[in-house]
Amino acid sequence: MNPNQTYAILPCNGLDKAAGGVTREMAVELAEQTGSEILCPVFYRVADARYNRLAAERPLVVIDGCATRCASKLAAEKGLKVARKITVTEEAKKRGIELADSLRLDETKRSLAKTLAAALLEADAAEPAGPPAATAFPEHFEYETYRKDKFIFRMPKAGFYFSENDFWVLVNGRRARVGMTDFLQQSLSDVLFLTLPEAGSTVEQFGELGTIESAKAVAEVISPVTGKVVAVNEALTASPERINQNPYEQGWIVEVELADFEKDRELLLDFAGYFPILKRKVDEFHVK
Amino acid sequence: MSTITFMGVPRSRIDWSPQIDCAKCNDCMECVKFCPHQVYEVREDAKPKLIVKNPENCVVFCRACAKTCGVDALSFPDKNETTVRIKQIRKELEGQ
Repeated sequence: MNPNQTYAILPCNGLDKAAGGVTREMAVELAEQTGSEILCPVFYRVADARYNRLAAERPLVVIDGCATRCASKLAAEKGLKVARKITVTEEAKKRGIELADSLRLDETKRSLAKTLAAALLEADAAEPAGPPAATAFPEHFEYETYRKDKFIFRMPKAGFYFSENDFWVLVNGRRARVGMTDFLQQSLSDVLFLTLPEAGSTVEQFGELGTIESAKAVAEVISPVTGKVVAVNEALTASPERINQNPYEQGWIVEVELADFEKDRELLLDFAGYFPILKRKVDEFHVK
Repeated sequence: MSTITFMGVPRSRIDWSPQIDCAKCNDCMECVKFCPHQVYEVREDAKPKLIVKNPENCVVFCRACAKTCGVDALSFPDKNETTVRIKQIRKELEGQ
């Protein structure tokens, strides 16, 4: 977060779970340090004019206690754009911190709230001015389409490999771009927020490469390849809707330095292999 | 309709589905609401109320339902082990 910027902070403030209390404490911490305003989720539900105005004027920070994501869901319901987001239980797990079930704030919870608030404040301050230049990948492709009722599903005709989990990989030498297919994008509906992996992290084939959150669900980005993340599509942080616009072009997610693509390819499909699977999935599952 | 194969391997031979930790589950049913493949079943008057009814409907490598679980009661097999197993079975099938 930018220390010179004021934010609108929306904690879940869950009263029946330990992590809910931590979100409130974090919000207070952040509000005090940045002069930001806290949005009360309960009040927001019953009267939203004031908070809608605040959220339109300032970048929004969403603090969820647990994976139920009540604050995120409220933000989605109100049509708000999320600038920053954090889930307390996930962060506690990452740091090996066990949160006691008691609803009272003990020293561990207070200190976690302080640590997470500080991490949020630092995260943005440390962000580089611009993303590193990505390797040259073609920007436009030719597509085959499959139509079902009013929905049209695109699939690039050549060069891409697909996993049965509906992610694609486009290889360029030892480097590859990864993203989701048009089918998955449409199944998720509007993408609201992404958690991208850090550059330099490694991933195994079918391992997790961050998460994508839509109004409907949180989906894991299931990596179609094994390798090291060398670039992430930073543009998605400010404009996640790029995935909905075209998940093969401006909606790519990460670039990976491949470890052994020949080995990965064993469990991937080319156009001819994936197209019938796409058709079957659309026919069986696609419900809007 | 359930997926019959995954990467050419009969789905019934791939061990991939959620495990419910009944001690943690608070019956919120967010996972049931999310899963479009009828993996779960809700039994109104039974204990536990939530069971995995159709494990073979579960999409291999998908763990999205676990991400809806506020109390972290859902777990899945190890992905790497599952990948290795799928490759093994594919080899066996090629040899037949």
